[in-house]
Amino acid sequence: MIYVARRLLASVVTLFLASFFVFFAVQALPGDVAEQLLGQNATPEAVATLRAQLGLDQSVWVRYFDWLSSAVHGDLGTSLVSGESVAETLSTAFGHTLLIAIPAMIIGVTISVLLGVWAAARRGTKVDNTVSVLTLITMSIPEFVVATVLIIVFAIVIPIFPAVVLQGPSATFSDLLPALWLPIVTLVISMVAYIIRSTRSSTIDGLTTEYATAAELKGVKRRVVLFKHVLPTAMLPVLPVISINVAWLLGGVVVTETVFNYPGLGKLMIDSVSTRDLPVLQAIALLSACVYVLVNLAADLLALLLDPRQRTSRRRSSRPRPKPALEAKTSEVPT
Amino acid sequence: MPQGATRRTLLQGALAGLAAGGLTACGAPPLILPKSAVTGTPARGGTLHIARPAASAAETLDSASSLSAYEYLGAIYNRLVKLDVKGKTVPDLATEWSSNSDATQWTFTLRAGVSFHNGKPLTAADVRYTIAHILDPDTASPQAGTLSTMFGPKDVEAVDDRTVRFRLKTPNAEFPSLLTAYQCYIIPEGSAKTIGKTGIGTGPFRLESYRAAGAGAVVANEDYFDGRPVLDRIEFFSIQDTSARVNALLSSQVDLLAQTNMDNATARVVTGSRGTTVARVPNAQWYTIPMLATSKEFQDPLVRRAMKLAYDSDTLLQTAIQGTGSGGWDNPVPPNLEARLPGHRPYDPEQARALLKKAGKDGLRIPIYTSAYEPNLTPIAVAYAEQVRKAGIDLTITSVSSDSYYTAVWMKKPLMVSYWYTGRPVDQLLNQIFRSGSSYNESGLSDKRLDEVLDAARADTNEQSRRAKYQDAQQMIVDNGADMTPIFGDRIVGLSDRVVNYQEYGFEFDYVNIGLKASSS
Repeated sequence: MIYVARRLLASVVTLFLASFFVFFAVQALPGDVAEQLLGQNATPEAVATLRAQLGLDQSVWVRYFDWLSSAVHGDLGTSLVSGESVAETLSTAFGHTLLIAIPAMIIGVTISVLLGVWAAARRGTKVDNTVSVLTLITMSIPEFVVATVLIIVFAIVIPIFPAVVLQGPSATFSDLLPALWLPIVTLVISMVAYIIRSTRSSTIDGLTTEYATAAELKGVKRRVVLFKHVLPTAMLPVLPVISINVAWLLGGVVVTETVFNYPGLGKLMIDSVSTRDLPVLQAIALLSACVYVLVNLAADLLALLLDPRQRTSRRRSSRPRPKPALEAKTSEVPT
Repeated sequence: MPQGATRRTLLQGALAGLAAGGLTACGAPPLILPKSAVTGTPARGGTLHIARPAASAAETLDSASSLSAYEYLGAIYNRLVKLDVKGKTVPDLATEWSSNSDATQWTFTLRAGVSFHNGKPLTAADVRYTIAHILDPDTASPQAGTLSTMFGPKDVEAVDDRTVRFRLKTPNAEFPSLLTAYQCYIIPEGSAKTIGKTGIGTGPFRLESYRAAGAGAVVANEDYFDGRPVLDRIEFFSIQDTSARVNALLSSQVDLLAQTNMDNATARVVTGSRGTTVARVPNAQWYTIPMLATSKEFQDPLVRRAMKLAYDSDTLLQTAIQGTGSGGWDNPVPPNLEARLPGHRPYDPEQARALLKKAGKDGLRIPIYTSAYEPNLTPIAVAYAEQVRKAGIDLTITSVSSDSYYTAVWMKKPLMVSYWYTGRPVDQLLNQIFRSGSSYNESGLSDKRLDEVLDAARADTNEQSRRAKYQDAQQMIVDNGADMTPIFGDRIVGLSDRVVNYQEYGFEFDYVNIGLKASSS
């Protein structure tokens, strides 16, 4: 329990630090929001007036603490560009992102764990080789290529799905329903490879352990050995890989959403960057930080459930967290 | 089009290029891009779907604003006067206009029997109100700068219901042309606060729905004074990413891409794909290479002259954009306007070299800035750098992020490639971009002699001699100016092959005659 409390505390500190970096990184963006809003022929007086109205002439520290304290109370301010409530804009976009992220997550994790275990169980056979080659291929194709190929095939050549979402942020669920599938498939394809590979390698490790061999020699069915004895332990190093992917999905997938003109968090982020809409940008970054922290926390707690050693050895070693597998797709972290 | 609206950050993915690779494999597309859209008799009715990049989440239907949702404006509003293809001022809501003998008083007569979409009849009071709204500093209209030098809101008088009079501080024989700007659409009296959402005008379509940076629709105005439009309905959709916009067209989700100048490779894919084609808006993109006249490199007129003589516009046109446009030869007036000075300056790299030597700048070596902001900026920078090498000028191509191109580079770095949309009347073009101290004077050059010629042209009520003065001004810009015009580019617009009578030039879009072929054909 001390461990859980400690992890929670660490999460809060992480979030605080994240808010700090988010705020100051956004301040460091090139371009001035007042100039951006007024356009290229703005007079210096107009820029000065607007800067005062937006509070941009105050000290950066004052602005940071003002922002943080209202953010804690759920008030994320209003958008500099549209004048609408940031919290509302953000929740709409996040809702849209969840519509593609959750199915992608469920389908992606299920498929990849099953395929990983299957490949490990049939190690060295055709099945294993095929899975390995396929994962290598999908790993090396960037998601915008996957998205474009899917659009060419399933929206242009064989027009079954729409290529883009036309309605924008006001799209209803029925507007979005036909347009969900290509983004979901794109996301599944771009995340499965990493999970398959780490599942496969850790399942192979699991199969060579003495207890697995012993179970097999005792005559336990192979399927039972795999799923009851090997898999729970084998999932430990896979969990961080899954959690990074899940966090990436929930944090808004900029490229995929842009290609499909999908009105989610990633697209909101791109649009806010181009219009220097700082309150929206900060709120998105903060939300992403929360998602990362929460998902990682969930993964750690799940690891705790799966691994009895972690519960008992707590007092001696401080925090033996499973190391992320080498394939962890750090490059995919939205920036 | 407003530059602000196109100057957007887009993910410049290799998508279009990939799409090109994917589809060219299916059959070689024609090498020649169609020049103009199909004309013919459209089927009556139908719905046209237009994809557009939104100006920003703050965009509005108030045409006076710098963030207007441009595509809607021509469909729902009218101006007093508009420009025809050759740059001549022609009637819109005003049927006739005249001035006193020294062009300081202009009187416009309004069309009879015109009503706004809410049923209210159009009167001179609405015009007066609209002009006051444009001049209001709180509106921050891009056209206010041009108009406010000539008159204030009190100088506009509603003489009677159908007569409006403008009293100018200085004579201006080209005054009506300045009211053709797309910021000057007429709105009902008292609507300034609400017009951004209601869009109540006199135009061929009525607003049905609108959401900033989202989707919207307009429906035919049965009572339009110039006859009911062909289409029943137009739907507008916002798609920020250029490649996503092209995909929407290829998959038949939309029929027309607004404000999208396609690069050559994408244009070929669109032309070669089933159901889609392209049309060219001749000379719609005015490309410039401003030399910052206040910089140490270009304060010397000899160097500026050398930078011009060192390149050949016609060759640059071929190299940079495969000839889809016209050579500019440093004259900013588009070739389709009657006021353009005929002929062009010489191309003489040897003399350029000699001039540089005389200025003590031989072997000039500086960066030329470019960006992916618009697809043709970099090809133009590369082609220009290649050509001036013959005169011993060594330019380093420096590409910067499109995000901050117009805040960190434009009017700040000595040499860069930029562009405008054509469509300004000659008087506004020359005064807005070249007059000393104008906020759009991108080269920062102050030339008092040019200002005097421009003033003299405005005061000249004789059309022939006035045009001669504007041509003198063009000659001065070609000879001494600091803002080069290498080429004018055709805008390559993607559209469905069902679209007929698409016509666009300058800031004019023909919403009345555009239609769709009967679906059986």
